[in-house]
Amino acid sequence: MGSQPADLEIQILDQPTSGGLQLDTWLRSRAASDAATAVFMGRVRELAMDGQTLDALELDHYPGLCERRIETFTRRLLEQHGACSALVLHRVGRLLPGELIVLVAVSADRRGPAQRCCAALLEALKHDAPFWKREWSHGVGTWLSENTPLGS
Amino acid sequence: MNAWQPDSAQTVKVLLFASLREQAGWSDRRIPLNAVAVSSAREIWDRLELGDLPQVVLVAINQEIVSADHPVHAGDELAFLPPFTGG
Repeated sequence: MGSQPADLEIQILDQPTSGGLQLDTWLRSRAASDAATAVFMGRVRELAMDGQTLDALELDHYPGLCERRIETFTRRLLEQHGACSALVLHRVGRLLPGELIVLVAVSADRRGPAQRCCAALLEALKHDAPFWKREWSHGVGTWLSENTPLGS
Repeated sequence: MNAWQPDSAQTVKVLLFASLREQAGWSDRRIPLNAVAVSSAREIWDRLELGDLPQVVLVAINQEIVSADHPVHAGDELAFLPPFTGG
């Protein structure tokens, strides 16, 4: 699962990971001119959207279309924000509370482009890539109909 | 000749994801095409008997997002996608 064009790396993972090894490997491959790196890591919450204790989070995706859409909008956002490169990790399958769901890292020559592109890339992952979350609480699974808005 | 060719030559492969898959009780199915008229994605949806196509559901044909009125041809992969909730 994954593709590795020159300036971006996308990995869809079906096993738990801290993201640390992938991030370290990616950082070591960056050019010295990529002086600024912004990183976002999202993990599974302990509570479901309705406040119940979350047993697990299930993540479904559409293989093929998912990777291609991520690559397309990542390239567009890198150019739009003047950033250089990006690493995107996204889990699928059954996740337990505390496990990493998503890791986004963006490098640029300055912090502004890196931070702005990282934030925009995360929002694109939430709204423009074919992933779907189902929350499991007390043996009942509920597909989420939307993500929480930014700022909530 | 591969065994799947006569089948795919007359059918479209329909994929459902997440809540749509649960609603229908299946994830992929081959739907026969009308031999004389071109079908749209919306017309194929209507044959699935899952109610009206929700406005929030996106349509992909051969892994490209298209309008629900886009024509569907024999051998195509047609997917119906509920709102995305990744990240």
